[in-house]
Amino acid sequence: MSEVKIRLGHLFPELLNLYADQGNIAVLKRRAALRNILLEVTPIKLGNELKVEDFDLLLLGGGSDREQAIVGKELAPYREDLQAAIEANMPILAICGGYQLLGKFYELANGERIPGLRLVDMETKPGHGRLIGNIAIEWMAQNESSKELTIVGFENHGGRTYHDYPALGKVLKGHGNNGRDHLEGLQYKSLIGTYIHGPLLPKNPHLADAILRYALNYRGHFSLLEALDDQLEWDAHHAVLQELLGNKKYARVRQRLC
Amino acid sequence: MSMAEWASTDFEAMRVIKKWKSRLALWVGQITLYVLRLIGRRGTSLPGFLAYRLSPDLLFNLLTQLDTCVFVTGTNGKTTTSALLYSILSDEKNLWLTNKDGANLMQGLLAAFLPHVTATGRLGLRKAILEVDEATLPRITERFHPTMVVVTNVVRDQLDRYGEVDQALAMLRQGISYPGIQLITNADDPLAASLGIERELTSFYGMDEVLQDTQTRNEVRDGAFCLMCGQEIEYSHTIYGQFGHYHCPNGDFTRPTPDYGGILRANDASLIVRWRKRNTEVEQFAVPSPVIGLYNYYNLLAAVATACTLGISTRKIVEAVTVYEAPLGRMQVYAGTPERILALIKNPAGANSVLRTIETDSRAKAVCFAINDADADGRDVSWLWDIDLESFLATAVCDRYFCAGHRALDMALRLLYAGVQRKQIEILDALSDVVKATESLDVPVYVLSTYTALYPLGTYLREASR
Repeated sequence: MSEVKIRLGHLFPELLNLYADQGNIAVLKRRAALRNILLEVTPIKLGNELKVEDFDLLLLGGGSDREQAIVGKELAPYREDLQAAIEANMPILAICGGYQLLGKFYELANGERIPGLRLVDMETKPGHGRLIGNIAIEWMAQNESSKELTIVGFENHGGRTYHDYPALGKVLKGHGNNGRDHLEGLQYKSLIGTYIHGPLLPKNPHLADAILRYALNYRGHFSLLEALDDQLEWDAHHAVLQELLGNKKYARVRQRLC
Repeated sequence: MSMAEWASTDFEAMRVIKKWKSRLALWVGQITLYVLRLIGRRGTSLPGFLAYRLSPDLLFNLLTQLDTCVFVTGTNGKTTTSALLYSILSDEKNLWLTNKDGANLMQGLLAAFLPHVTATGRLGLRKAILEVDEATLPRITERFHPTMVVVTNVVRDQLDRYGEVDQALAMLRQGISYPGIQLITNADDPLAASLGIERELTSFYGMDEVLQDTQTRNEVRDGAFCLMCGQEIEYSHTIYGQFGHYHCPNGDFTRPTPDYGGILRANDASLIVRWRKRNTEVEQFAVPSPVIGLYNYYNLLAAVATACTLGISTRKIVEAVTVYEAPLGRMQVYAGTPERILALIKNPAGANSVLRTIETDSRAKAVCFAINDADADGRDVSWLWDIDLESFLATAVCDRYFCAGHRALDMALRLLYAGVQRKQIEILDALSDVVKATESLDVPVYVLSTYTALYPLGTYLREASR
C-alpha cells in the first residue's frame, strides 16, 4: 500500500506570515507524520501559477493591509477555481488577513476598500480601535466527534467582520468577528476562516485533526485518524482557558464542553 | 477693558496656570521619588507616571533646556546601544543624562530627568542620551527636535503593540521628518535604511565584512520587499535575519555604502571600524567588543558611529568601551557549577541572534526558556513560533530543555513541534525553580528570558553564583 499523502498549498508565505503561520504547518505536519501520512507543503509565491486541483488543503495566513491588497490582486484570476473547490469540500484555512480576504471587501479606516475574493458573502468594516487579546470560543463543530469543544488563542484585528454563515464558534471570552454578536470565525463546508492565531493549531489539536480529516476526505480517504498523546497540548490549552475564564466559569465550561 | 485686553489677560492667566501645574507636577514627582528611595525602591515608573499625568508640558520644558540630545530608537538593541554610548560620552567632568533602565515611554523619560532638576524647574545637566520607544518618538519630535536620532533596526516585534512592522516604520519616518535632525541608521537593514535614503543629515553604519553563515535558516524577513516597487529584494550577502547586502532587482533601492563600515573576522574578535569621511579620507581603528553576539556588534557599531558623529575622539571611544559593563540580560555569565548565562529575548529576531551566539559555544549545554506574557513582554506569544529553533537543534549540542514563566507550556509545545523529545523538556512551576532544577547539571545552562522574568532571574542566578 502506498503511503497516504496530503498536499498542502501555503499561499504567499513571503507576505502572509504575520502571526507565525509556520507554527500551524509544523503542527499539521507532525500530526500527519505520527499517523504515517505525508504532508507535502508547497509554498506558492508571488508570480507562481496556482493550480488548485494540485492541492488537498490550502492555507492563507495574515499580513498587513498593504500585503493583503497585493495578495487579493494576485489571487483574483483563481476565484472561480477556488469557488468550485470550496463547493466540492476542499478545506481551506484562512486566518486574520486571509480570513478578511475571503469576503467581498475589507474597508480601511480611511474609507478605502480592499477588494476581497468574494468566495463568501461577507464584509469587513473599520471600527474604533483594534480588538486585541486572548480569546476562547465554544466550537460549534459540525459533524465533529471531538469531546473537547473549546478553542483558545489570540486575536488582533482592526476590521469588524459580518456574515450570515455558521460561525466557527461562540465567544466565551474575547471579541470575535466584530465585538458585537459574540460569534467568531466562519465555517462553510470545509472552509474555515478565523481571527484566532497564537498560532491557531498548537493548542487546539482537535481542530488540527479536523482539518487533516477534511483533507483526507477531500482526497477520498475515509479512515479514522488514530488518537495521539496530546497531554502537553491540552495542558497548554486548559492553562490559557482557565486563566481567561476565571475559576468559576472555567469549571462550568469544563463540565459542559470538555 | 477691551476684548483684546480680556483675551490677553486670559492668555496670561493660562500661562501662569500652566507654569504652576508644571511646577506642581515636578514636586509631586520628586517627592514620590524621594519617598520611594527612602523605602528602598528603585522608583522607575511611579514618579514619572504621576508627574506626567499632572503636566505633560513638564517633559518638554526640561527637554528644551538641553544643548545636545540624542535619541536611540528602533526595535532591538536600544538599551545596549544607549548604554554603550553613555559609557563613551559620560564621565565625572562631563555628565550626561540617561534613562538607564530602559523605561522609554513619556513617563519613563520624565522619570530620568526628575533627579537632576532643581525645585524651581532648572535642569542641572545640558546633555542627554535617551532611549525612546518607536511610537513615542513622533509624539516628542512634533514639539521638540533632538540633535540626533539613532535608529538601530526595524524588525518584527511584539505584534500587539503596533499591529505590524509597516506601522512602526511609519511612526519612525514621521518622527525624523523634521529638518535639522541628524539621523544615524543601519545600512544593512533594508527597512531602517529606507528611512535615510535621499535624506540630508544622514549617516549609515553597516557590516562590510562578516563571517559567512553556512547554516540554512528559516527566518522571517520583514524587509523582504522593495518599498518602492514591491519586488522581492535580492541579497548578495546575508548576515542574519533581514540584515545583509541587498538590492532591488529593478535597481531602485540598494544598500547604502556605510559611512561607518564594520569588519568582523571572528566571533569574539575586536570590531574593526572603517570610517569613510566626507573628504574621502578613511580612518580605520579597532574597538574591543565588551559584549558577545553578532547583534551586539551592530549595537557597538551604532554607538561608535554616533560617538564619532558627535566629535568624540577614537581614542576615547576605545578606552570607554574597554571598561564597559553590559546591562542585565546581555549574556551575563554567572560563574559556578553549573555556569549559567542570562540573555533577554523579546522577539524572533532577537531570540534568533541569541541562539546563533549560543551555537558558537561548542560545549554541550542546557537551555532554559522563561516566557511571560505581561504587557511589557508582549501579550501575544505567537512570536515563539517565528523563532528559528529548527536550525538551532540542527547545530547545537543540547539535550536538556527547561521551560518556566507564565507561558512555559506554550514554549514547551514550541520545542516539541520543533523536534525536541517530550522527555527532554522539563516544565517548571516558578521562576525560582530554575536554579534548583539545573543545579545537578554538569554543562553550562543558557537562560533565555522575556523582560518581566529577567530581573527576578538575575537575582536568583546572582545569589546561586555566590
